[in-house]
Amino acid sequence: MATRDKLIQITDLEKHYNGGKIKALDGVSVEIDKGDVMVVIGPSGSGKSTFLRSLNLLEEPTGGAILFDDVDITKKKFKDENGKWKKIDIDVHRQKMGMVFQHFNLFPHKTIMQNMILAPMKVKHVPEEEAKKKAMELLKRVGLEDRADAYPIQLSGGQKQRIAIVRALMMEPEVMLFDEPTSALDPEMVGEVLDVMKQLAAEGMTMVVVTHEMGFAREVGNRVLFMADGKLLEQGTPEDIFENPKCDRLKEFLGKVL
Amino acid sequence: MDSFIKIENFSKLTPYMTLFWQGILVTVMLSLFTVAIGFVLALILSAMRMSRCYPFAFLGLDKEGHQKESGLGVAIGKFNPLSFLATAYVEILRSTPVIVQVAIIYYGVFGALIELPNFTFLGFIKFERFFPGVVALGMNSGAYLCEIMRSGIQSIDQGQTEAARSLGMSQFQNMRYIILPQAIKNILPAIANEFVVIIKESAITYTIGVQDIMSAVNAVRGATFIIIEPLLVATAIYFCLCFPTSKLIAYFERRMSRGDKR
Repeated sequence: MATRDKLIQITDLEKHYNGGKIKALDGVSVEIDKGDVMVVIGPSGSGKSTFLRSLNLLEEPTGGAILFDDVDITKKKFKDENGKWKKIDIDVHRQKMGMVFQHFNLFPHKTIMQNMILAPMKVKHVPEEEAKKKAMELLKRVGLEDRADAYPIQLSGGQKQRIAIVRALMMEPEVMLFDEPTSALDPEMVGEVLDVMKQLAAEGMTMVVVTHEMGFAREVGNRVLFMADGKLLEQGTPEDIFENPKCDRLKEFLGKVL
Repeated sequence: MDSFIKIENFSKLTPYMTLFWQGILVTVMLSLFTVAIGFVLALILSAMRMSRCYPFAFLGLDKEGHQKESGLGVAIGKFNPLSFLATAYVEILRSTPVIVQVAIIYYGVFGALIELPNFTFLGFIKFERFFPGVVALGMNSGAYLCEIMRSGIQSIDQGQTEAARSLGMSQFQNMRYIILPQAIKNILPAIANEFVVIIKESAITYTIGVQDIMSAVNAVRGATFIIIEPLLVATAIYFCLCFPTSKLIAYFERRMSRGDKR
């Protein structure tokens, strides 16, 4: 790796339910650098999605810290450079983190174009013309420029997910979070979504991807995390993880999915 | 034995037809005002019920500002006074009879606490009776409409909120641009149905002397000792008001669902 430029620093992240009886996340520590394509794998119920959703506080962690741009976003307030306590505005941090969901979550009452320009216009106050121009460029990149005026219900799953990705890109995020982006898709549509994600990775976008697509993890990821029972059991390059797995849980898991 | 209904009795009603016409006007106006008041009230109530107002949230945080897992502080921190008040209001209004509520508002609130000016408008409607009737019915339907709105808003997939918030939109922007436009389409038919219910329920206000259709029936009964026939006329009038309205609603419901291309 050329430069290690820390973007997100996660220490001892915990998410407990029922007063600590259920540990969805149990002390996960990891650093995400700029340009990383970090793929999170693991059996279902291992806390992968909880981990990802914690990064932009869709789940509120019960312990630990997430340092993003040097601010611990898990706390309700922080000390600024003058030593004053300030409230954390999570909306500002979320603008810098794009998120793509398993079930796309496009806004069904708005056209594709409206889906894409709504947040930039309302949150960043980008002028409509500018937002539309940018949206058309992004739509061209994913080959859907002719569907700008369609409604989400008129698109296939793969098309919806490609739109969801470019909708998140409209906010010019510093990092993109993918929560099982291909799990709800028909097999023949998985490829078109993965292609968009590969293209993004090639452009240097920082990405955290929770997925069951081992091929993608191996080919595109530069770091792979293996999680089970809320713990981060093993991490390393795709070669480390897939060719030389160390812990038994990972060997067992790979034996089942490969 | 006398027959149940005497046709000749209907002709005896003709001198009193103005009362019935006035009753129809009062009933319709009563219902319209009630829905308007109920709608505004329900907006406020449902906003209160879904608010995230936790004035004691700091009691649930530890020294570093993290949410604590359990304890008394966490329980108090989760207390939302706005939601508590709105819930209490809705449950009390829904668990007591309308006739009691109407009586309390008329005899209690406007009888003892607030004095209303005595005047008639449109020539025959007594304001000091009409107004308490509207207020009582409006308060009642506000409670029901609040539940309709809340369930309509909560029926929208949580993923919509997650998508909006992950794009950096605030709680308010999420409501304004994403949730409400979808929810309103779902709840409009229920609101329109509530209007039909109110037309029927407004009959209760004759107990406080509002001159609606039911009070026309009573006036006729007092003057002529005919009971069944005026009641049948009232039945026909209520049916003619409610049935077409609900058919109209059903028509618009079908038209709106046609927009959802599947």
